[in-house]
Amino acid sequence: MIAQTYALYKREVLKLFRSRYMWLMLVAQPLMWIVFFGNSLAGLPRGFLAQYFGVENYLAYILPGMISISMMSTGMFASMSLVFDKRVGYLKRVLTTPTPKSAVLLAKAAGAMTRGLLMVPIILAAGAALGVGYRVNPASLAAWLLALVLAGVGFASLFTLLTVNTADVHAPGVISNFITMPLMFTSTALFPRDFFPQWLKAISEVNPLTYVTELGRDALVYGAPPDPSALLYTAIFAAATLSMGVAAVEAKLTAD
Amino acid sequence: MSVSAIVAEGLVKRYGDVTALDGVSFEVARGEVFGLLGPNGAGKTTTIKILTGLTKPTAGRAYVAGFDVVREAAEVKKRVGWVASEVIVDDELTAWENLEIQARLVGVGGWRERAAELLKYFGLLEAAGRPVGKFSTGMRKRLEVAMALLHGPEVLFMDEPTVGLDVGARVGLWEVVRQINRDFGVTVLLTTHYMEEAEELCRRVAIINRGRVVAVGSPDELKARYGVDVVELEVEGPVDAAALSAFGEVAIRDGVVVVKTHGAEEKLAEIVKAVNGVKSVRVKKASLDTVFINLTGASIEGEQVDVRKLYMRVRWARR
Repeated sequence: MIAQTYALYKREVLKLFRSRYMWLMLVAQPLMWIVFFGNSLAGLPRGFLAQYFGVENYLAYILPGMISISMMSTGMFASMSLVFDKRVGYLKRVLTTPTPKSAVLLAKAAGAMTRGLLMVPIILAAGAALGVGYRVNPASLAAWLLALVLAGVGFASLFTLLTVNTADVHAPGVISNFITMPLMFTSTALFPRDFFPQWLKAISEVNPLTYVTELGRDALVYGAPPDPSALLYTAIFAAATLSMGVAAVEAKLTAD
Repeated sequence: MSVSAIVAEGLVKRYGDVTALDGVSFEVARGEVFGLLGPNGAGKTTTIKILTGLTKPTAGRAYVAGFDVVREAAEVKKRVGWVASEVIVDDELTAWENLEIQARLVGVGGWRERAAELLKYFGLLEAAGRPVGKFSTGMRKRLEVAMALLHGPEVLFMDEPTVGLDVGARVGLWEVVRQINRDFGVTVLLTTHYMEEAEELCRRVAIINRGRVVAVGSPDELKARYGVDVVELEVEGPVDAAALSAFGEVAIRDGVVVVKTHGAEEKLAEIVKAVNGVKSVRVKKASLDTVFINLTGASIEGEQVDVRKLYMRVRWARR
């Protein structure tokens, strides 16, 4: 199980690092977020930003949010990669070996998570270059990185389990849109909760993106100690989606 | 448990309303090269999918290397290799990396030595570090076979192994199949719809049609039982068909007498003596092709007629 997960994970990573387009996306996507969205509220009065966002620079506020969103949306690549393996027949190759089906899921999820993590230093460096000053809390930083790993695996499992029984190349994109768009706007990744109507507040409180983002803000923006319950919530989310993913894959995954 | 490498007992596979396999039974001895012959859609690939544990039969049982393919799938998978009809390798990875991943999936200790040995055996050692996407189809196929042999399988399944290969690569792969059967003692089950391939490689074949096995035996046995030799005589003058019918079915058209018979070589002298004014003689020995067509009702000529009609219709429509 571990050997086979490792082998398939290694394959994901090798393919990832060899794709020029993947690198282009890794660098270009965060930069587009920062340049276009990050500057959209640049003219907000300082006092307003300080009062409602707790920062002097909106870019600083959304950097952790962007990273959470990136971790979520790269999860789609796990499900895309699995559909692709069905199409080219590689999954048949895997399933004629004694590899458990759950090793396939774990490797895909870990691959997507790795892809998401690679964006983190790029986003942070771009933020620093544009004048964001980080106030780092080491304990929060550790908790946040752990939360990113958990969220990466969790979302990748969620997307994969929803497309486990299809070989339709359109499915991963469609399914992930249904999940990423609502979760992005119902979390605190982009705007503070204070502006939300009551019902939106309620959703944001069960939205894992909110917790990952807040851990990131504590770690980098506010320099505050970590909130253990946020980390716990993220862990529960990851454990739940991963175990549902394992169950779905074991029951439903076929070679084609 | 069984001493045979493969036992299939009444395998049935239904996909919804479609019956892909309708009670397939056959047995393959250890060390044998066995062929599954059949037209497209006969159920060859479905049979392999069941035997390699990719899919479960709707009914029936199968044992590979002594293990039940449904209840002991993991044990079966440790002991079989599989070569797909479409070449399935990872194009973005090198030959070496493809082998490494396969080795870890099947759990081969000391895979590096084994992989290097196989690359050398298949003449791929120098290309080992190159991305597989740049390989020729023949090289990719050889790599695929090398991957299937990494863990020293007892049984190797090859689904239409030479589809899409040029003549040279095809003959090369035949040699590979013979060698691995001889050098490694691997039992080989291959599917094909090339009769020539089955005659070259297989000690025994099963002809499968519409999900059923319609005949099993060595190519020679099948030819003797279901095949027919054809003697064609070009003649001048009248022919006494009655005298010839003692040898078999007779047909006469445009001065050519066609006699369908068995053991044409022994009867040839007598047949020629029975006809006056023989200008030339041609003997077509029974082949697996004729056996195949007899048993499956597939007619290559029939298809050609359809194509001609279609073509004429297309031309007519263009006017």
